[in-house]
Amino acid sequence: MAVYKRRYNSYLGSLTPAWSRFYVLTRYAFADLFKSRVFVMLFILAIVPILFYAGYIFVANNKTFQLIMQIRSAGFLTVENQFFVILIIAQAELAFLLNCWVGPTLISGDLTNGALPLFLSRPFSRAEYVLGKLAVLAILLSAVTWIPALLLFSLQSGLGAHGWAWSHLWMVVPMVLCSAIWILMLSLISLAVSAWVKLRIVATGIIFIAFFIPAGLGGIYNAIMSTYWGDLLNFSGLFRDIVTHSLRADSPGADFARWNQIPIPVAWAMLALVCIFSLLLLNARLRAREVVRG
Amino acid sequence: MPATPSTIELDGLEVQLGGRTILHGLTGVLKSRAIGLLGPNGAGKSTLINTLLGFHSPSKGSARVLGLDSHTNGKALRALVGYMPENDAFISKMSGVRFVRYMAEIAGLPPEQAMERAHEAFVYVGLGEARYRPVGTYSLGMKQLAKLAQAIAHGPKVLILDEPTNGMDPPARKRLIELIKEIREASDICLLLSSHLLRDVEETCDEVLILRNGRIASICNLIEERRANRKFLEMETSGAEATFTAALESLGCECAVFAHGRMKIVMPENVEIREVFKVAADRGVQIRRMNHRRDSLETIFLNAMEQTGVADGRL
Repeated sequence: MAVYKRRYNSYLGSLTPAWSRFYVLTRYAFADLFKSRVFVMLFILAIVPILFYAGYIFVANNKTFQLIMQIRSAGFLTVENQFFVILIIAQAELAFLLNCWVGPTLISGDLTNGALPLFLSRPFSRAEYVLGKLAVLAILLSAVTWIPALLLFSLQSGLGAHGWAWSHLWMVVPMVLCSAIWILMLSLISLAVSAWVKLRIVATGIIFIAFFIPAGLGGIYNAIMSTYWGDLLNFSGLFRDIVTHSLRADSPGADFARWNQIPIPVAWAMLALVCIFSLLLLNARLRAREVVRG
Repeated sequence: MPATPSTIELDGLEVQLGGRTILHGLTGVLKSRAIGLLGPNGAGKSTLINTLLGFHSPSKGSARVLGLDSHTNGKALRALVGYMPENDAFISKMSGVRFVRYMAEIAGLPPEQAMERAHEAFVYVGLGEARYRPVGTYSLGMKQLAKLAQAIAHGPKVLILDEPTNGMDPPARKRLIELIKEIREASDICLLLSSHLLRDVEETCDEVLILRNGRIASICNLIEERRANRKFLEMETSGAEATFTAALESLGCECAVFAHGRMKIVMPENVEIREVFKVAADRGVQIRRMNHRRDSLETIFLNAMEQTGVADGRL
């Protein structure tokens, strides 16, 4: 029907599959994100180190280049699990910064002017809504964490000695899993904050506070009580422990050293708990209609 | 041939929110294509709409729209619905047409069709010139029209309008009412319109559900009411005798005579007032005061509000 024909018509055409509609939210969010110069700069900033890691892998595996550059003690230029630990942890920190910029506006924009009932008055559930928004952060943060890590792993497999890939294949799963829990936790925290706080600057501040203040309090608790359980509130620290342990990059004598650290299963459980708490916060806020009790 | 489902069926619908019972066992069947929802503030109109949309779960009973249970078939029901909420509902930074396209895509339209329908809907509601402006910059009336555009863009079978003329100036209100009537006439869409303005409901709806304190105060079929509408006259006369009454009755009027020459007359459709004057003149009867009244929706509404015998949500 042409636009000039001012008449109401029913829609009789085809519909998209119901399971794919959450991705509409993701697509629109990405379209908005890439209009922001700050976001593009942050994204590039998060990608640039990957090029340095790739360069490092190239140098570490290229004897000719080492000779030309007169790098004699090539022993330190190794690509082993420690390299990937550093890679994952460093990229996770950059993912945190990216998340602090992107996350706070994802839901607040829909809640500020009451658009949420419009989503939920369609054949679209709250779970699909959260999934659509979560996918934005999951895709974005994956693009700067485990995806480049796997690409660099592939690069090293190609350039490294024969059999390197096979002997290091076990690292793939921990790299993906550790990144996944970090991404999930970051995403859910920022979505929960976005659902409760309208102003971006305040929401970003709260995300920083959620990571740094509990860690500080945990440190104080450790100091006063002479314990290590305060580290449970240091989410970044827990993530570093998980990555280091999962990629078998603990320092020598790690078994002895671990006695005064949070057990790894407990660290996993704590991060999962933060995810669940964030989901509860989202569940409390994402309602088509608020019910006033009393 | 299968029976056509009623537009709305309420079967002992009870809704509790925050520990309070808001809707008290509503029972009723509304079969018309255009249904008005009336009631004073706090009567439960919005709660009923939210329940029909599946936003609130019934604590007892059920509500069905076009035969689909709002609780157990919520998703299938919402696939048929276009909803224009009472309050602000937009994404301020998005351009109007992108906002409507977004909503159409969420409803399941493929991107190209959603874009086409969004443009059509915007032009249709009269916002064609403003469609590329961010919705946040629209006036209140324009926002109302943008909400209507998003409600119709995906071609729903049921259009739920919650206070659609809120905050609109008289010309804008008139245009919106015309649009609603046009939408109703142009397709087989069912309409549920909640409004405080009796005139809005009277102009657009065929059937009215009146709520009071979370109970049904009245269900009234306006078409039948209009058909059966009779003209009422209240008169104060001097010199009226039995012959005057008999002459009026011979015209088909029903008369009730009271003290001091006061009379109440129900006139049939085919009798005009001038015929009453003629009868009075022929018999030398003075008509000193005359009130002419039609049985309007306002009367029905006020009667419903005055009723005291409402129990268990039934009329």
